[in-house]
Amino acid sequence: MIDTRQRGNVAGREAVWRRITGTRHAGLVVALALLAVIGLVTVPDTFATSSNLVSILALASTIGVITVGMTFVIIGGGIDLSVGAVMALASVWGTTLATQSYGPAVMVLCAVLVGAGAGLVNGVLVAYGRLVPFIATLAMLVAARGLAQRISEKKTQLVQSANDVIVSLSTTRWLGLPLLVFLFALVVVVGWLVLNRTTFGRRTYAVGGNPEAARLAGINIRRHTMYLYALSGLCCGIAAVIIMARTTTGSSTHGDLYELDAIAAVIIGGTLLSGGRGTITGSILGLLIFTVITNLFILNGLDTSDQLIAKGLIIVIAVLLQRRNALGGTS
Amino acid sequence: MTQIPTRRAFFVGGAVLGAGALATACTSNAPAAAPSSAAAAPQPAATGGNDAAGTAVTIGFSAPAADHGWIAAIARNAESAAKTYSDVTFKPVDPTNDINQQIAAVESLIQAKVGVIVMLPNDGEQLNQVARQAMDAGIPVVNLDRIFPDKLSYRTWIGGDNYGMGVAAGHYIGKKLKDKGVSNPVIVEIQGIATLPLTQDRSKGFADALSTYGFTVTAKQDAKFTVETGTQVATNLLQAHKKIDAMWNHDDDQGIGVLAAIKEAGRNEFFMVGGAGSANAMRDIQSGNSVLEATVTYSPTMASSAIKLARLIGQGKGMSDLVENEVPSSITLASETITKDNVAKYIQLGFES
Amino acid sequence: MLEVRNIVKHFPGVRALDGVDLDVRAGEVHCLLGQNGAGKSTLIKILAGAHQPDSGTISFDDKPIRLATPTAAMRAGIATIYQELDLVDGLSVAENVFLGHEHSRFGFNRRGESRRATAGLLARLGHPEIPPDAEVGGLSPAAKQIVSMARALSHDARLIIMDEPSAALAHDEVANLFRIIRDLAAHGVSVVYISHRLEEIREIGDRVTVLKDGRAVASGLPAHDTPTREIVSLMTGRSIEHAFPDRTGAEFGDDVLRVTELTIPGVVDRVSFTVRAGEIVGLAGLVGSGRSEILEAVYGARPASGTVTVRGRPVRGGPHGAVRLGLGLAPEERKAQALLLDQSVAANITLATLGNHARFGWIDRRGERAAARRLIETLDVRPPDLDRPIRTLSGGNQQKAVLARWLAEDRTVLLLDEPTRGVDVGARAELYALINRLAGQGIAILLVSSEVPEVLGLADRVLVIRDGRIIHQAPAADLDEHAVLDMIMEGSAL
Repeated sequence: MIDTRQRGNVAGREAVWRRITGTRHAGLVVALALLAVIGLVTVPDTFATSSNLVSILALASTIGVITVGMTFVIIGGGIDLSVGAVMALASVWGTTLATQSYGPAVMVLCAVLVGAGAGLVNGVLVAYGRLVPFIATLAMLVAARGLAQRISEKKTQLVQSANDVIVSLSTTRWLGLPLLVFLFALVVVVGWLVLNRTTFGRRTYAVGGNPEAARLAGINIRRHTMYLYALSGLCCGIAAVIIMARTTTGSSTHGDLYELDAIAAVIIGGTLLSGGRGTITGSILGLLIFTVITNLFILNGLDTSDQLIAKGLIIVIAVLLQRRNALGGTS
Repeated sequence: MTQIPTRRAFFVGGAVLGAGALATACTSNAPAAAPSSAAAAPQPAATGGNDAAGTAVTIGFSAPAADHGWIAAIARNAESAAKTYSDVTFKPVDPTNDINQQIAAVESLIQAKVGVIVMLPNDGEQLNQVARQAMDAGIPVVNLDRIFPDKLSYRTWIGGDNYGMGVAAGHYIGKKLKDKGVSNPVIVEIQGIATLPLTQDRSKGFADALSTYGFTVTAKQDAKFTVETGTQVATNLLQAHKKIDAMWNHDDDQGIGVLAAIKEAGRNEFFMVGGAGSANAMRDIQSGNSVLEATVTYSPTMASSAIKLARLIGQGKGMSDLVENEVPSSITLASETITKDNVAKYIQLGFES
Repeated sequence: MLEVRNIVKHFPGVRALDGVDLDVRAGEVHCLLGQNGAGKSTLIKILAGAHQPDSGTISFDDKPIRLATPTAAMRAGIATIYQELDLVDGLSVAENVFLGHEHSRFGFNRRGESRRATAGLLARLGHPEIPPDAEVGGLSPAAKQIVSMARALSHDARLIIMDEPSAALAHDEVANLFRIIRDLAAHGVSVVYISHRLEEIREIGDRVTVLKDGRAVASGLPAHDTPTREIVSLMTGRSIEHAFPDRTGAEFGDDVLRVTELTIPGVVDRVSFTVRAGEIVGLAGLVGSGRSEILEAVYGARPASGTVTVRGRPVRGGPHGAVRLGLGLAPEERKAQALLLDQSVAANITLATLGNHARFGWIDRRGERAAARRLIETLDVRPPDLDRPIRTLSGGNQQKAVLARWLAEDRTVLLLDEPTRGVDVGARAELYALINRLAGQGIAILLVSSEVPEVLGLADRVLVIRDGRIIHQAPAADLDEHAVLDMIMEGSAL
């Protein structure tokens, strides 16, 4: 008797759950569609043009790549505040005259390695130094910016014409899209596959969702945590290459407050800040919402201040909806 | 590119080996990182006998942290101007973007009883009090660029003309479009930090000058004086306006990003005017292979002049070309328009961003 | 003074309280006894206002009251001191004592007054040496307990409930605690005292109420002269007989797990034992006796000295190393320590052995799902749905999934900590049969359970643990429930 009632309950809960997971991203898609409608109504002749859509993707690509790394870190139960600063550092290191003298391949390699290296330092501090992620990466934020300023002597470093191959990532198009959009897409796809189809991804959910259970299941959670931050740093390195291509420069001022945009995108995308739950798809949708808002405001010639207000509202609404979903899922 | 190969090899090697050795690798390579063709101290046109050594003067110097090419040039220019005089002891304090720290730094200069203080305040309103303290203590203050509201707080103000910059840009664009016979032109403006009074002055000058030709600004957006925000804003603005006739970008530093976005979008139907007068912008103007045709100066050479004025004030001298026995209380530098025709004359004054 | 009548409380799948009565007189020390799961903590939480009963009445001073929130209980004069003390470490003693009812005027705390009042309370408790300004985090467990009591008194509590207050205390500190309790009682304050230790109950208690399976099987027994045997038999003797599998004739192989001189300072003291292939060894002991800690140390999840070997190879490198050597642990707190509640049943089952279904880190999803499906069928996890989030399963089925995690590949040793906690009666029998079958496959099993009958029914050999030591070991067949309970509660080895 107890058994049947329980089964009824479970079936009910299951239905609720299915509905939530099935429509997990529906809210984001609806929001994006709503923004598109606003765009079509207010600026019909500019918004829906292919070149504007390409621009939106190009604009999203830098933070987008960072957001992929951030999604991993947050699902794994951490946070990385240093992303913007690490990207700036990688962009600066990749564009010093010394690095540039070795040609574009070395510049890219240098940026990516510097990013991954800084991420690795974060990872070691968090996993083995037992620093709270917030503090470890905050320290990296400050230090990496300082180091970037030191290396660049606070100057903007131009990509020299000999290394224009890097800039061609942004100017050369294939199938109508700048190459860096393909780079962005590649990072998203690889990130998705790693998160959903590999042991590393599965363990990321475990480490973030229930570190004790993960540990007792024999997962080396410290090493895993270290890798997560290194991965985030690697993404910053790739983002640095994109920003080098897009702005033709490396600068210590690049990526200012990127950490907030990336974290906001991840949260809007439905990833729990406490870890264990989240998706790449959601994060990217969250980021696109942000990018489209900026685009819409500029297309309409509106003030940036209003745009900030709109973004703030979206974060709050998204998190409130998310909490309702979470309650529905667990009660 | 005048690099010593071994040093270069070490640097890149360090980078390739990974960031594990972050700190060491880059401290040792900092000099190799970006050798600027550092702005040589601009030499004055003619200052007569005033350059002859006089009584010794200690000049205290305080400015914001050099996280922007223009500010960096200010600090460099001040220092190199001071070095040209054997009778000047240059005493800079730690550059900072924190109001409180700058106040403390200036207080330390007052305590040290320097002869003259040259100060570029982070914010004229907020630093007014401490400048007044210095004046009250008998130390003349040369106020550089951002002005103190209280005239008792400075002996002499020297600075650029933000409104004039906008006017210069507006006249260049207005005249050129008028000559071409364009009616209802699409004129786009990319500002710096919108909340700063200097940005608002520039925009007002721009709009006022354009209105004399019967033109108005079609769209304006603010970037944040950084390359990256320049790219972001320009990318979106280019989408918003499929055909543009002219663009004014307030700041050559962020202009690098603006130009990158224009290049990426493959647009060249319009011409662009920059602001401030960086070496990069001048080189672009000289080469003529981008949309950047002109830039209106807001030159950091004002720091060199400020040091010279401070020295004269300290020595009780006047400006030899003027009749008066003392240095004037206010000097506004003209905003000059640099185009392909006159760029050669300016290029060594351009600052590296 | 306190009258509890016919309280019923259900939790999903469990009837925690099934019509409990309790009477406490003014100024008496009333002891509450019962095995784990008998309903003691649920009853306390209802009296503290933390849980609401499904039915039943509570009256205090002959007036019916509703304890809707912890604050309501406090106001009524009922204070509860939990085993895990609920003090704020970063605040001072005085701030903790008056937390939530600060002396204040116009929103400003009147700290001097709080300090004076706290000093008075501490003096009354015989501990004037605790400074009211000291930070609580720096105090000893005993001092923290005094602070908790001061807090209770600051509410003018007339009934104080103490949940195993002596568990964290040294011997002389217990003596002081008893002095305070006597003093409180002499001033008309009633105390409900919960402890597993019979000798304490005899020393401090006036009357005893025994709970079993959510009912009070005896109330108001005199604490001093009720024979131990009678109390123990009240606590045992099941209302529902479990079908334990027949283990006679089970065959054992070689020693597989060998534990030598395992020591965790202050918790476990030089414990040595072995488990043979196919053998089930049970650890019987109270909460805090060190039984779970032994399991965790064997698994490498807790730092300890001594050696643990599996088939002669030492376990090193934490759980990671233990898993490689063929150990598996089903931990005590299923939800906190084993499950990824948001993840699917399949993901939970394959968590530990994911590497077997992956090549170069790439998961072979078909292989993984096939393996999970096989285990779900073997273990009869219901509903047999791979993709369902595991949080929606019942406790018994969750536990099966945890066991399945370790059966996805051949395990040499399984460590089971409270495998049937929170599992309803029907599912227990299935788990017992499953554990029996695993042993039959030659897996060495080390089992911990608070329920003595379970240990006796399942295990081939029983180690009795008290105060971190093995005080007795014998084949399960040679022991009975009374004897084991005597040992774990009073420490008298036979």
